[in-house]
Parts: sequence; C-alpha cells; structure tokens
Amino acid sequence: MKMIRGYPDYMRESIERVERTRAERLKTPYPPMSLAEREVLLHRFHPDFREEQKRPIAFGPSRGLKVNHELANVIESHPLVPSTLNLSQVDYQVDVLIIGGGGAGTVAAIWAVQEGIHPEKVLIATKLRHGDSNSTMAQGGIQAADRENDSPLIHYLDAMGGGHFTNKPELVQALVSDAPRIIKWHESLGVMYDKDEAGNFVENPGGGTSRKRLHSAKDYTGLEIMRVVRDESRNLSVPVIEFAPAVELLMDERGQVAGAVLLNLETKEYVVVRAKATILATGGFGRLHMQGFPTTNHYGATGDGLVLAYHVGAELVDLDSVQYHPTGAAFPPQIAGLLITEKVRGMGATPVNADGELFVYPLEPRDVESSAFIRECYDREKGVITPTGMRGVWLDAPMIDMIHGEGAIREALPAMWRMYERFGIDMTRDPILVFPTLHYQNGGIAIDVDGATTVPGLFVGGEASGGVHGKNRLMGNSLLDFNVFGMRAGISAARYARQVEVGHLSLAHVDRYEELLKDAGIVTDRTSPVLLPEYRGKEALERQLDVLI
Amino acid sequence: MDIKYYPGCTVKTSARNYEASAIAALRYLGVELSELEQWNCCGVVHTLSTDDLMKQLAPIRVLKHVEQCEEREEVVTLCDMCYNTLSQANRLVKDDPAKLKTVNTFMECDDSHGGYTGTVRVVHLLQVLRDTIGFQAIKKKVKYPLRGMKVFPYYGCMLLRPGEVGIDTPEDPTIIGDLMRALGAEVIDDPVKIECCGSHHTVGDRSIVFERIERIIGRARSKGAEAVVLSCPLCRFNLDTRQQEDRTIELPLPVFYYTQLMGVAFGLDEAVLGLNEHRIDPRPLLREIGYQKKGEYGRITT
Amino acid sequence: MTIHVHEQVHRPRVSDQGFDARTPKVRIYLMGKEYQVPNVLTIMAAIEYAGYRLVRGCGCRAGFCGACSTIYRKTDDYKLYSALACQTLVEEGMYLVQIPFVPAVKSLYDMEEITLTDNVILRYYPEIARCVSCNTCTRSCPQGIRVMDYIQASLRGNIARAAHLSFDCIQCGLCSSRCPADIKHYHVGQLVRRVYETRIAPKSPHLARRIEELDSGVYDEEMNRLMTSSLSELKQRYESRKIEPVSED
Ligand SMILES: Cc1cc2nc3c(=O)[nH]c(=O)nc-3n(C[C@H](O)[C@H](O)[C@H](O)COP(=O)(O)OP(=O)(O)OC[C@H]3O[C@@H](n4cnc5c(N)ncnc54)[C@H](O)[C@@H]3O)c2cc1C
Ligand code: SF4
Ligand code: SF4
Ligand code: FES
Repeated sequence: MKMIRGYPDYMRESIERVERTRAERLKTPYPPMSLAEREVLLHRFHPDFREEQKRPIAFGPSRGLKVNHELANVIESHPLVPSTLNLSQVDYQVDVLIIGGGGAGTVAAIWAVQEGIHPEKVLIATKLRHGDSNSTMAQGGIQAADRENDSPLIHYLDAMGGGHFTNKPELVQALVSDAPRIIKWHESLGVMYDKDEAGNFVENPGGGTSRKRLHSAKDYTGLEIMRVVRDESRNLSVPVIEFAPAVELLMDERGQVAGAVLLNLETKEYVVVRAKATILATGGFGRLHMQGFPTTNHYGATGDGLVLAYHVGAELVDLDSVQYHPTGAAFPPQIAGLLITEKVRGMGATPVNADGELFVYPLEPRDVESSAFIRECYDREKGVITPTGMRGVWLDAPMIDMIHGEGAIREALPAMWRMYERFGIDMTRDPILVFPTLHYQNGGIAIDVDGATTVPGLFVGGEASGGVHGKNRLMGNSLLDFNVFGMRAGISAARYARQVEVGHLSLAHVDRYEELLKDAGIVTDRTSPVLLPEYRGKEALERQLDVLI
Repeated sequence: MDIKYYPGCTVKTSARNYEASAIAALRYLGVELSELEQWNCCGVVHTLSTDDLMKQLAPIRVLKHVEQCEEREEVVTLCDMCYNTLSQANRLVKDDPAKLKTVNTFMECDDSHGGYTGTVRVVHLLQVLRDTIGFQAIKKKVKYPLRGMKVFPYYGCMLLRPGEVGIDTPEDPTIIGDLMRALGAEVIDDPVKIECCGSHHTVGDRSIVFERIERIIGRARSKGAEAVVLSCPLCRFNLDTRQQEDRTIELPLPVFYYTQLMGVAFGLDEAVLGLNEHRIDPRPLLREIGYQKKGEYGRITT
Repeated sequence: MTIHVHEQVHRPRVSDQGFDARTPKVRIYLMGKEYQVPNVLTIMAAIEYAGYRLVRGCGCRAGFCGACSTIYRKTDDYKLYSALACQTLVEEGMYLVQIPFVPAVKSLYDMEEITLTDNVILRYYPEIARCVSCNTCTRSCPQGIRVMDYIQASLRGNIARAAHLSFDCIQCGLCSSRCPADIKHYHVGQLVRRVYETRIAPKSPHLARRIEELDSGVYDEEMNRLMTSSLSELKQRYESRKIEPVSED
C-alpha cells in the first residue's frame, strides 16, 4: 500500500474532499440539536440502547440495574479471597486507608492530612505506580465557572442537562460550587494552567457547556494536576504501597468497613490493612472493554472498586449508561481507541464525513456526538474505512491553526501532535480519523455530598462513584469530580476515623456474597476483581503450560 | 554595532547589576549587547582538566553554538571565570584536533556536520572597550568625569593567567586602570592587584578569603583608595560581601564593576546600574563626587 | 494458599490491532531472547504478543505516564536508544529491555516556605551544578524535551524558562537513568514548575471574586430554586440557555 504522509492513497482522496469544504465550514456553523432530536438519535445509535448487549444485575442492592454483560460478569463472579483467609497478622494499622493512587486518592490523602490525621496514619494502596491512572491521561481540561459571564448556576444547568437530568442535584451543587475553590487551591499548589499575561485563564468550551469554562494545561491537564498533587502528597510524606491492589474489603462484626486485603503483585503475598475509614478511589472500568470497544483508559481501569463495594453491600447507580468518547483515534491501528481530546473540537476542528460534509454540531454532549458518528459510519455509510476494516469520520484538525493562528496546535495540543507525529501524521496539515471509544464510567458507587456510602466506614471519590454525572458526564467535570469528591471523601473519612471504634476484622461478607450468587442461580468459575486485562498473544497463550515454578 | 555575549550563570544570578550596567553603558556608546539564543553553563574553570574531555563538553558546546547556530566569529563574555574557561577550552581543542574530534563525535557531529571547527574568538568585554571602541573614544563620551575619585583597580587571576589566555600583562596589568583614567578617576596602584581573592574557598573555608581580602583592602586603603573597581563577579562577592562580614575591617571600601563606573561617568540612572545591590553601599561616596539618583547629574534612560 | 487471579475466561482481548496471520513478522530480542512478532505492533503490544503479562512497565498505554520506558540497541549501529514502549513501533533486530523504574530521590519541601531566589533550585537539588552539558538527557528523552536546557536554566535561576521547557515531561526517568552527573531531572522540573506558578505567574483576578461571591452566598437562593424545580421547568431553562460562540476570543 502506498503511503503519503502517514495515510494510504485511497484515504488521501477523501482528505482532498475534506480540504475542499474547509473554507465553507469555517464560515457556516452547524446548528445544535433540540432535546427531542437528541433522544431519537440516542435511542437508535447509542451503544447503551443495544439491549442484547446488556442484562440486569441478578442480586444485591442494585438488582435489576441493566448493565453491559462485561460488567455484569465481574459482579456475578466469586470473590478472589475466601472468608477463611488468616487475618491474624495485621500488616498496617491506619486511620484512613485509600485504595487507588490516582487523582481522587491522592487528593483525599492530602485533605485527610489537612484535616488533622498524621500522614503516617494515612496509607495509599494502589495497583500500579502512584499516578498510573486515568487522571494522568486527561488532556482537555477541568471545568469551573469563574469567568464573569458564567456562574455556578449555569454550570449546574449544563451538568444536569448533559446528564439528562438524572444527576443527583445535591452532588451537582457540591461539584459546581467547589469548582472555583479547587482551581484556587491548584493555583496555590502550583498547577500551571494556561493563562494570559494578566493571569486570566485561557478557557475553552467543551461538549455540552454553554460557556467557555474549561481550564487546561496545554493538553496535559490531567498529567499536570496529577504530578502536582502527587508531589504535594510526597512532600507530606504520605506512605504509598505500589503494585498492591485491594482484592477484598475487610469489615468488622458491626458491619463497618475496616480496611482491606491487598495483593503484592510481584510476590503474590497478601497484605492485611486495618483501617478506621476506607476510601475507594479506584477509578473507572474502560479495560473491561464493554461491547468489545477499544478504550482510552489506563491499564488498571478494570472497575475493581465497583466489585469490592458490591461485596460489602454498597449500592451501584447509573451504570446502565457508559460514556463513549466520540473522538477515539481510528487510524493508525497502533493508537486505535486512544483519546483525541475534546479540546480539538473546542478549538474549532469540525467532524466531517468521507465526502467532506459537516454532519453534526461539533460540541454536542458526548453521547449525542458519538451517536451521530456511529450513524454516519454504519447507517448513512459515509465513514472512511481503514485498511484494517475500522470505520471512522474525519476530525478536521488543520482548522485550528486557521482559526487561532499558525502554531496553535503545537502550542496548545503538544501531546496530540506528538502522538500523531510518532506515527508519521502531521495534524497541522491533515485531518485525523476518529471513532467513538469507551471512555468513562458515568455511574458507580452511590455517595452523598460527603463522599460517604450507605455502608459505614466506606467512602468513595472520583470516577468510582456514581450520581454526580447522572447518565452522561460532561467533559471537564470528572477532573473536577476527583478533586471535589476526593477532597470531600478525605475530609469526611478523617472526621469519621476520629470517632469510630473498629472491632474484629472479618471476611464474613464474602460468604454472604457467595450465598447471593448461589441464590441467584449463578454457576461460574469467574473470579473478580479482575485487576489487569488480558492482552497476551493468543498464539502464545494456546501453548502455555500451567506449571508451577 | 551589535555584539553577541555569553552571560554565564553568575551574571544571570548574583551579578545582574554587572549585566545591566554593561548593557546600559554600551548602549550609551552605541553598541548593542545581545544575549546568545541558547547557552549552557561554561563548566567553571576549577573543574577544567585537559585529560577529562567530559569536562570540556560544556565550554565547547557553547562555542559550537556560537559558530554553528549563531554563525559568529566572536563571543564576548562578561564574567572573568567564563572568559577563562571558554578561552582555555578553545585553546585546548584548537591545538589538539584529535581532542576536538572526540568531543565533536560525542556531540554527534563532526567538523562538516554541525561540529565545532575552532573558529570562534573568545573576548572579554574589557577587550572590546580597549581594542574595538578604544579608551580615547570612551573618554570623549564622558559627561561627568569621576574627578577626584580614587579607585583601586583589582584584577585577580582569571583575566591574566595562564598567560596564553590573559588579556593583559600578567605581572602588571593596566587595562582597568587605563579605562578609569579615561573616565577621569584617579588610579591607585599596588602589586596586590594581581593576587588571588581566595576564590572558591569562599564556600568551604571563609577564613582563607578573609585573610586575602584583609591584605588587599588594607593595601589599597593605605594608599588612599576610596573604592575598588573590578570585572569578576566572584572577586566582587569576596571583596564586597565577605569584606562586609569581616569584622576586622573597620572602614570597608565599596566595590564597583567597571561598567557601573562607566555608567556613572555617562550619567546613567542609579536604578539601571544596580547600585543598590551592593553589600557595602557605594552611594555615599558617589554623592560626594556629585552623582545623584537623577537630576543634576543628568539622566539618560536606557 | 493459591488464588487463581489470572484465570479469567471472560476477559476480552484488546480490539483490532491491525494484524492477521499474513502480516509480515520482524525479529526482536526481549532481554536477549528472540521472538517473531507482527511488524505493525508497538513494542508494548509485541511484548504481550510474545506471551509476557505486563505488571510493571505498563500504565496508560498512550504516551502519558512514563511507565513503559524502554532502552534498545539495533544490530546495525552503536547507539543505545530509548523510547516509550507504548508509542514506538517494533523494528527488525531490536534488542530490548524495559526500565520501568528509575530510583530518584525527591527533595522534600514546603511550598509555602520557598522563597524565590536565584539559587532556589540549587538549594534543593545542588547536584544540578554538576551538569557537564553532555546533552545525554536531551538525547534520551522520548518526549523530545530539551532537558539539558531546562537543567541549565534552573541552574541560573531562570525559573520561567525552565518551567516552560520542562512542561511536557511525563516523568519517565530515562534522562535520569543516563545522566553522568546523577541529576534527577524530572524532580527538578517538578519543583521548577511549582515555583514558577506560585511565585512568578500572575494570579487569576476573577477567581478570587467568584469565591467571595460563593462565600457570601449570592448564589444560594437561585441554586436552591434550581435544585428543587420540576423536571419540565429545568428542561425549559436548559433549552433556553444562551450558548457562547466558540470563536469569540
Ligand atoms: C484519556 C482520558 C482523557 C480524559 N480527559 C479528561 C478531561 O479532559 N477532563 C476531565 O474532566 N476528565 C477527563 N477524563 C476523565 C478523568 O481523567 C477521570 O475520570 C478521573 O481522572 C478519574 O480519577 P480517579 O482518581 O477517580 O481515577 P484514576 O485517576 O483512574 O485513579 C484510580 C487509581 O486506582 C487504581 N486502582 C484501580 N483498582 C485498584 C485496586 N483494586 N486497588 C488499588 N488501586 C486500584 C488505579 O490503578 C488508579 O491508579 C479523561 C480520562 C481519560 C482516560
Ligand atoms: S545528562 Fe546530566 S550532565 Fe549531561 S547535560 Fe544532561 S543534566 Fe547535564
Ligand atoms: S525529561 Fe526525563 S523524565 Fe521527563 S519525559 Fe524527558 S526523559 Fe522522561
Ligand atoms: S504506558 Fe504510559 S507512557 Fe507508555
């Protein structure tokens, strides 16, 4: 196949059609859809509405919630550890145990210390390295209504509408009201948001936002926030155990969560942590690959927190919806599914089909935008088909430099530019091919405004929680979420830890869970949490011998 | 005239007033000093050893940049230490093509592909004043001669030794003195002008520095000097900061960079010259000779 | 006690990676051992294809986290290359090893107590003065950052320059694994950026005003009304929002 600047020649022909309509598209915007139009589109094309891909959860407090089979499978699985596990040796005894060293977990640790817990009495246990998380990967930005033409009220409306009015109002209120304070906190820690010379943030719009409200740090926003909060937590000397995922929560005889069993991924030893309060900050579930979709998520995003929480009887909400980000890379195959930040559209690039036609308002909420892309590719058959058979629509990146001046892409989107450049494509000259990718776990473990669950001693912050975004999260609201609810969970866990007494450690809930499985008639050899996805080569796996060495 | 200069780390940190006064004084003389686009620390002379080529990378990288990227034949330094380091490294590779080749190969280039070929001249700003502009020309531009001011030019080591890179007679240099005369000052001379100020011992063992400066300041004062004038930021640190800390020196002498005194004689602003950044305040002395912040003494904004 | 964590029948394989049985293969060497892998794979996918289960050396899989630092040589030249395994295609004859961890001690500091002086970075990382300008760090950076230049800028107290030059650092540690002067570049960069933002960058003017408004409760009443309004009312307000145009800069 002849390749010209990163694309096979037949794709080049389509690119030429895109180039021909560019001038016109720069002038004439495409109108947004009405709520009614959105409904119709979603029902026909959004993966959440593919009934055959889903089933109701069979038991437990969220029984009946219709989720993707991939998620139902990990919920309807045997716990990894038996109730008979010897807990007599307690390896760590702490006030606040934080499970997950991403954004929410690290923010929670800092605020637990601020709230008066000695750093030595806080422990972060995380699956991979401290900071290997979805937080580090966030590119586009974080919302906060701080400009004059904006207000927390408008932010509230945007978030509710984006979530189809299914969000919990008090959680959204907390989210939007804390937002400016979080940005202020970041400023005082030294997060380098993009600013002009007078100190005004450079703010962009995002899908579903009615104001420019997105604060970004080039397209490394999550990385920048994560590395600063991590640096701060290191300065506070908060202990962290890496490569030690939680495989089960611990409870005491009074039914309070009282710590967790961790697994040392290298030695396979288990570790017992006794804690007065426990925070789940395990993030999302992209690596479960709902409906076989590729994902933007990091390697450890396997929804473990949902499983652990369900084992102890916490409620799961809104997991019937999953967020597919409209712009995952569709070409080249090496980066298929990786995220193309919404900031690319925020800065003016429009989606176009194989014939160079604009077919949707570029900044609809994500579920709507994704559905429109799916319709374009699979219903109207106007997508571009890649050499490996993937379909996608163009995202006309060169428009950005035309709108904001030459160099804008290199300056504001260095990560995107670098990713394509590594595979021979120059996005300042050519459009890039995109298709929806599995991005975000909209729902999760039900929490209140303090990050508390219905199970005493168990707190949740960040993507693992549910209710904040309802059935669809808006861009920039989850970086905000992990800060707001990481902070709130950290503070409330610290307060709770000060007044609680923990009894005997127990895994009796594991037996109860096995009972539930049995009663629901589920016969399986599956176990969960999954911890890591399986990507080993089929060829190699088929010839593997299961030998103990 | 436009001159590319290499500032060096010290000039960018503790000797900003040297840089600022140099830029202002030269601008007054119609010369624009512009900083190299890109530069790294010179490596600092005390780490130089001719057999460890790793230590030569820093200065040669600077010279390569001047030659290959900025396409210049000359680079001007302000700091004596940088001058010495760059000059010595330059000499080393000019005299020894094999070494130059090794350094270039390490930097992944060779003399036909972006490597250093040895054409750059390293020049101290004092040399520019003496040889390119000329002290006579400078004298003509003086607005307010430093009449009656008794200054002691101090040279130290780096401008003079080793002789191959020295900018003046090692035993009896006169370059700063000649400049001062052109500005109208009275020059006090003494052989201690070429003695070491204690240099880097200022970090490890201050007592060595105290001993040195007591001798230097003592000799200068006994001959009637009212101020010291010099060109090296490290000597300035030892003679100014350490002098002030030295309890045995009762009547400390203020210490100037030559560029500051040029500025005074040209009537430039006190703020531009950074006269407030000294440990031993030189302003009372300047008031005595009639220099004011602004106003009577004339004012030229840069 | 044996727990079979990995026996998961239901786990999906990553979707289409763009190869099939006909895809040409290249030979690579993982820690010296030869494997044949499809030539369209990234180094990371190739390691997995060969049958390794990654625990270390894999984080974001997208070039953002620096977990997959890899060094390699090629049979036909003398150089030691470095790369991110998740962002680099395999090539014939690569000899690879992953370096998923580079020990680098971080200085502890209280941001509030740091004063902006020319030597602020030197105080916490004195070893930056040992830099010999060999440029090895810059050559090993998979992000293409001018690492030496940000170290040099830190050394001479040019905080703003160092902060901007180092901004794209994903803290992979490759530079620090190779520096002859034992410098911990990415920690230096971290400190420099925090100092820049807290001490040099101008503060946002409207942020403080908004927080004051929030603190004084100006939005409370209206917020309450929104929170308690009926679905149809809310929808109506949502639909009548004015949308700020994109290009109005
Ligand atoms: C590519 C990408 C781009 C994004 N862009 C944006 C954006 O521009 N704006 C925005 O607002 N949001 C964005 N998001 C979403 C946002 O980044 C995340 O939702 C948010 O950072 C989640 O934070 P968290 O702390 O809850 O989870 P994470 O940051 O994912 O942290 C969870 C941590 O828990 C660990 N963990 C998991 N299981 C276990 C276990 N069993 N035991 C111990 N530890 C465990 C994980 O390894 C991880 O370190 C993006 C997400 C992705 C993937
Ligand atoms: S590798 Fe170390 S010594 Fe070499 S240039 Fe970089 S920081 Fe300096
Ligand atoms: S500067 Fe160093 S740590 Fe940062 S990305 Fe480059 S090589 Fe990695
Ligand atoms: S796995 Fe994160 S950079 Fe490669």
